[in-house]
Amino acid sequence: MKKGQSQKTAIATDGLWKNNPVFQQVLGICSTLAVTNLVLNTVVMCFALIFTLSLSSCTVSVLRKFTPRNIRMMVETLIIAFYVIIVDVVLRAYWPEMSSNLGPYVGLIITNCIIMGRCEAYGNSNPPAKAFWDGFFNALGYTLILLIIATFREILGMGTFLGLSVPYFSGPNWDKWIIMVMPPGAFFMLAIVTWIFRSIQTAGEDKAK
Amino acid sequence: MIRKKTWFPVVYMFCLTAFFSTIIIGFTQATGEKVEANEQLAFEKAVLKALPGLYKENLSRLELHQKFIESVSPPDDSSGNAYTLQKNGQIVAYALPISGQGFWAPIKAVIGIKADKKTITGIAIYQQNETPGLGAEIAKDSFTKQFRNKVISTDGSPINIKRPGAALEQSDVHAVTGATQTSNRLENIINTEIKNWLSKISG
Repeated sequence: MKKGQSQKTAIATDGLWKNNPVFQQVLGICSTLAVTNLVLNTVVMCFALIFTLSLSSCTVSVLRKFTPRNIRMMVETLIIAFYVIIVDVVLRAYWPEMSSNLGPYVGLIITNCIIMGRCEAYGNSNPPAKAFWDGFFNALGYTLILLIIATFREILGMGTFLGLSVPYFSGPNWDKWIIMVMPPGAFFMLAIVTWIFRSIQTAGEDKAK
Repeated sequence: MIRKKTWFPVVYMFCLTAFFSTIIIGFTQATGEKVEANEQLAFEKAVLKALPGLYKENLSRLELHQKFIESVSPPDDSSGNAYTLQKNGQIVAYALPISGQGFWAPIKAVIGIKADKKTITGIAIYQQNETPGLGAEIAKDSFTKQFRNKVISTDGSPINIKRPGAALEQSDVHAVTGATQTSNRLENIINTEIKNWLSKISG
């Protein structure tokens, strides 16, 4: 039991911090840049990713004993696509506005490198429960970074947070940074966030030595 | 061992695909009606937006649908393929559904035209998949409100979408900055469809 606990903590810190998919492995950048101009879009996108990543990693793990090595990538893509289509269909049926906001990006989760990466690196060689948690925490690590980026972009660029006006930033004294909601703003924010988090990380490692 | 057989990967992949596809097909079937209803509602909302004085912010889905049923009449022989807004049996305005290829994917919209068949009352784009932040701006109010009260030109093309900053005449609007392709295609769609419609109802 104790061992199981510490393993789970290890998986969690790996996904959230030590091997964070966005600022450490620099994976899944396409969607990080694309959907972070509004916090609400980001939240939905992240939920979709958490769902897809944890379940597909788990499914890959369940099937790992039967899947022939030479077609494993095909099988992984199939499984990922399966979950993504489910998310897409649910959004289209029950939240059409969000579905049209996110446009093609929900479908593009299929090619999100984090998912394929985790399925290959972890799901393929670990038992289902561990694979599930690994996927879950990696997706959470992705969520964490995306929310930080989206919060800054929406507040600085539009003066709102989740669509509600933020005092001062939505007032006349704040000249809205339009560039923040445009694609270049995402690059700046991502670079800054990566820089800050990596600096903290290396500082921590130096201290540990 | 069965996994070593050469045919195994093929059969395995086939079974797996069949399994997952079956679930997806079932799922899509189950939600199909809902999706269709959403698309219909998006269209109805666009019609209300394009016609004068019908659309209000914050209408619920049901109110929207009821408003559409109450005030908009479906196309008949005299209106071509346009929906009509009538008052005391007289046509006040037409709502013409238009569609065509955009830069990335089809664009679908509704144009509202007054009974004189010359003045535009509004345009609402309810389906497009243009570049977010650039081409997709055509669906925003800031772009579409330009069309209000523009006059369909009888010589040359009915409506011109000119580059941002250009001087505008009574049938011109400004394009979206950085989205020349989308603007050109939209202009093309609008003009073709208006011309078709005008020749249909006058002939």
